[in-house]
Amino acid sequence: MSTKLSSITKKKTSEKKFTPRIVVFACNWCSYAGADNAGVSRIQYSPNFRIIRTMCSGRVTPGMVLKAFKLGADGVLVSGCHLGDCHYIFGNHRAIENFERTQAIIKTLGLEEGRLRLEWVSAAEGPRFGQLIDEFVGEVTKLGPSPLNNSNRRK
Amino acid sequence: MMDAGRHPNIRLLTNSELVGLEGEAGDFKAQVRRHPRYVSEELCTGCGVCGRNCPVEVLSEFDAGVGKRKAVYVPFPQAVPNIYILDKENCTECGICVEKCPRDAIDLDDPGKDLELKVGSVIVATGFEVFDPTVVKAYGFGLYDNVVTSMQMERLLNASGPTQGHILRPSDGKVPRKIGFVQCVGTRGEAGLQYCSRFCCMNSIKDCMLVKQHAPEIEELKIFYIDIRAAGKGFEEFYQRSLEMPELTYIRGRPSKILEDPQTKDLVVQVEDGEAGKINDFQLDMVVLSSGAVANKTNQKLAEILGIEREETGFFTSGEETGSPLESTKEGIYLCGCASGINDISDSVAQGSGAAAAAEKHLAKLRIEEKKEEIPELDVSGPPRIGVFVCHCGINIAGVLDIDALKKYAETLPDVVFVRDSLFLCSDDGQRRLQDMIKKKKLNRVVAAACTPRTHEPIFRESCARIGLNPYLFEMVNVRDQCSWVHTEEPQEATEKAKDLIRMGVAKARLLEPLYKQSIKIDRKVLVIGGGISGMRAALDLDAQGFQVTLIEKEGKLGGSLNDIHRIYPQDLSASELVETMMQKIKNSKIEVLTEIEITDIKGFIGNFEVFTSKGGLKVGTIVLAIGGELYEPEGDFGYGKFKNVITNLDLERMIRDNQGDIIIDGEKPTTVAFIQCVGSRDLEKNPACSRFCCPTTIKQALELKKRGTNVVVFHRDMRTVGTRAEEHYRKAREMGVRFLKYSPEMKPQVVGEGKASGVELLEPALNRNLTLPVDAVVLACGMIPNEVETGRLQGILKVPRGADGFFMERHAKLGPVETTVEGVFVCGTAQGPKDISDSIAQGSAAAAKVATFICRDTIELEPTTSIVDADMCRGCGKCVRVCEFLAPKLVEKSPGIFVAEINQALCKGCGTCASWCPTGAITAKHFTDRQVESMIETFLTEAV
Ligand SMILES: Cc1cc2nc3c(=O)[nH]c(=O)nc-3n(C[C@H](O)[C@H](O)[C@H](O)COP(=O)(O)OP(=O)(O)OC[C@H]3O[C@@H](n4cnc5c(N)ncnc54)[C@H](O)[C@@H]3O)c2cc1C
Ligand code: SF4
Ligand code: SF4
Ligand code: FES
Repeated sequence: MSTKLSSITKKKTSEKKFTPRIVVFACNWCSYAGADNAGVSRIQYSPNFRIIRTMCSGRVTPGMVLKAFKLGADGVLVSGCHLGDCHYIFGNHRAIENFERTQAIIKTLGLEEGRLRLEWVSAAEGPRFGQLIDEFVGEVTKLGPSPLNNSNRRK
Repeated sequence: MMDAGRHPNIRLLTNSELVGLEGEAGDFKAQVRRHPRYVSEELCTGCGVCGRNCPVEVLSEFDAGVGKRKAVYVPFPQAVPNIYILDKENCTECGICVEKCPRDAIDLDDPGKDLELKVGSVIVATGFEVFDPTVVKAYGFGLYDNVVTSMQMERLLNASGPTQGHILRPSDGKVPRKIGFVQCVGTRGEAGLQYCSRFCCMNSIKDCMLVKQHAPEIEELKIFYIDIRAAGKGFEEFYQRSLEMPELTYIRGRPSKILEDPQTKDLVVQVEDGEAGKINDFQLDMVVLSSGAVANKTNQKLAEILGIEREETGFFTSGEETGSPLESTKEGIYLCGCASGINDISDSVAQGSGAAAAAEKHLAKLRIEEKKEEIPELDVSGPPRIGVFVCHCGINIAGVLDIDALKKYAETLPDVVFVRDSLFLCSDDGQRRLQDMIKKKKLNRVVAAACTPRTHEPIFRESCARIGLNPYLFEMVNVRDQCSWVHTEEPQEATEKAKDLIRMGVAKARLLEPLYKQSIKIDRKVLVIGGGISGMRAALDLDAQGFQVTLIEKEGKLGGSLNDIHRIYPQDLSASELVETMMQKIKNSKIEVLTEIEITDIKGFIGNFEVFTSKGGLKVGTIVLAIGGELYEPEGDFGYGKFKNVITNLDLERMIRDNQGDIIIDGEKPTTVAFIQCVGSRDLEKNPACSRFCCPTTIKQALELKKRGTNVVVFHRDMRTVGTRAEEHYRKAREMGVRFLKYSPEMKPQVVGEGKASGVELLEPALNRNLTLPVDAVVLACGMIPNEVETGRLQGILKVPRGADGFFMERHAKLGPVETTVEGVFVCGTAQGPKDISDSIAQGSAAAAKVATFICRDTIELEPTTSIVDADMCRGCGKCVRVCEFLAPKLVEKSPGIFVAEINQALCKGCGTCASWCPTGAITAKHFTDRQVESMIETFLTEAV
């Protein structure tokens, strides 16, 4: 109960505190399942992210990631199965290649490297998923609002 | 297990026991006792209210006693069905749970139920138990807090275990700095068990790597071992990698005692150093006992009920003598996994499929073609009319999220014409109302904000399909597992998040399109390439199920490597008799056998292959690759080729096969023969893998020579006689006076002599001097390598990839050992990697089972969530062809010089990777299109609540 109260009061007193908006891509077979596993284990972690499910991490295009950044996302996390576990054999290797391409582009947009991450989470790693999100939210909060995060922000 | 729980043809009876079996193969009556679970399977939704309120706490069996659970609990996180069970032994009958359960699912007086099932066959897969290490008094398990079993360590390392994956030592909850692993506890001659339990070595190596990952501050890891038995595909390479960890040291020797400091609870492991003749002490914070596997204790009772026999070791007796290791001693009852001996995961999976193939023989006449009724499709043209259904999931969602706020919010979203909440949307009642509303409100898109699509999407899709709504017009929003359950303490933020998620789901739903399953005709004929033991087994199993099989063998005779072998170990039976038995069975079957034949080309894809051979063409639907491996050619190693009395294990095997009397090597009967192990195996430059069969083969050959009065010395690195019988033969060889000398890869033995080999020289590490053993002949235990010519050729033709070791690569090392990435093409036996005869046979049966699941119907339905190419936008760059692992995209020449990609829908798995690489956007990954995904991103970021 006390945590509940404190989180509410925290919100009131620090209305202007920056809460990042983060897009998480999760592959159906491992990382999305890992996020479910966090739920089954009732792991508690930061709510400042939204998951978009794809069948494989290899499906996430540089275009999707860039779109998120252009529309003001403060961070993007692409997640898939551990290497060797991809349901489609090498989809996550393709994700690495895509990630490298995208990382190069976002630098030219003036965004910090730390805003885009690629991580592997297995279906059994619920606690790790929670930890990862907390860590990433913390990191992005430290970086502050994305430099592209202005006009589109709130209507 | 999830899959099994959901499969329409599988009925899962948990918490149940077989109490009687009558009848015969094809017509058994099984009596099953369903023990009371006190929680109704029909009503429980797994919401967990009961568990949270239960006042009783006991040690959790699943966490091997290192964690806690309630008296009403889910046995383990991934349990199927994922619902609660009440443990009457610890329950105080306080009745709190009965009262709290929102669905009245708990009945403390549940009497259980008795069932009688009619079945055609029975598969026994009762697994193993872990040896109880309290018996080994010297190790102090149960007395010393910080001595744990490998099973307990497994739980400590597991992220969903009692310590969330933090390694904390039991006595004080501190992170241990020094951990020791003691191998062979209870096995290999200790405390009565003679055999080697096969997977413990790999398990400790894996644990060490995991410890390093979880606790990088670890200072020392020690493995106390007799031999490191990394015998399995890819295992040796894994072991080699572990050697690079600076923290990990391997210490040879079986600890004689473990001592505890009563104050600090630190431990001392004492190991005798045989060579130097003294005892070494090792200070450690925690010790893990690698307890061996023993036969399931309930096997005895089960054997009586089933009327099948057991071995002395407690494992069930199998029909290995007749080339059917998956058969029990009674027809219609089959064995797999650790029921008949010790097997690792991939062999157990292969055996599981194999047992299924065997079991199907008795079902063939029962197999019914499923028929589906035609349901007229609802008209979904016109603008989207979206219905949003918000589920409370009891209090699982409603207890945290503000359902009313969600409903009000959903009503404001574009194209949403109807919103409704439900206490349990997935209940029969919830589903019926959902269906009614779709019809009444003329909904053409449905969004459910509930639990996870991974478990429930199929259920909702099915409900939509039943009333004629295309199931791909359904979208699921996960507001439980990924929202209410993980932000319980921040209900406001969680509700805001749920609003965003619903908005994103609606955005995607607006763009959903109906998709239709395509079906393609498949040819039911099967081609088995290779007539060795694994190919013969696969062909026989398929024939027994009534499928038409062609078995082709490039040589003039069936049997493969078995034709070279004298006796088969560890079973000790005649290879020629086994081949004879199998050939007889083939003669009596309808299998078409073609020998002295060569494959020149194969065209087509799953269900429709066209095969061209030196003896004409044939059409088949599936292909099994059983082309075997080859023996390593030791040219130039250890004097082979230079000295005539240096021969290979294959040469010796043939001599033994052809000679009942004395073995003559290079003109004389040798007094002393030396074997050198790992020739062409476990060699980082030539072939890092362990070939697995050569250690047991050397033991059998050594025993044959010993019988004939020859002295034998074996130079080895670790004797890898894994499993339930091989270790016993190893012990026998030692008892009969065979000498075993260990060498290290840096200090290989040298074969010396003039004109002929006269001795083997080895550095004696303890004395640091060279020792020369006079010998009359040397046998090189050559390993197994891929059949380069044939593997290479078939790879070229069929595009089945090969692993780093050169053998055909399986789909998944553990879960798909006989499948390949090419649909409709399977692999078994030593074509997939070095292994022994029983494992080759089990894989043959497994491949047959996998084939059968494809061809039991004459069409296959293809998932419509595939990728397709828009020919107008494609510029023929071929990127999609490069990134697809399943060979689905192909470049087709449309007009001279103009290439356009086409994706074969039968091969496409729908991962959408090609779509992310196409530079022109010509590829649409159906159901996850760029537009659909981007609309979710857009709506999340631009239309804040
Ligand atoms: C010296 C020695 C001793 C052994 N002793 C034992 C033992 O005691 N116990 C034990 O369990 N294991 C033993 N093994 C291992 C055992 O031989 C193998 O595990 C087993 O025979 C493998 O069977 P297979 O069907 O996979 O392959 P193989 O027996 O090699 O059969 C493959 C067949 O495919 C054919 N073929 C290849 N390419 C084509 C093609 N393109 N078209 C048509 N046909 C083709 C080959 O001619 C061959 O007949 C021993 C091995 C050796 C070398
Ligand atoms: S001899 Fe063969 S089975 Fe034994 S360790 Fe070496 S490669 Fe493995
Ligand atoms: S990647 Fe795109 S453009 Fe290139 S061949 Fe494939 S479909 Fe055509
Ligand atoms: S399926 Fe998870 S990364 Fe490919």
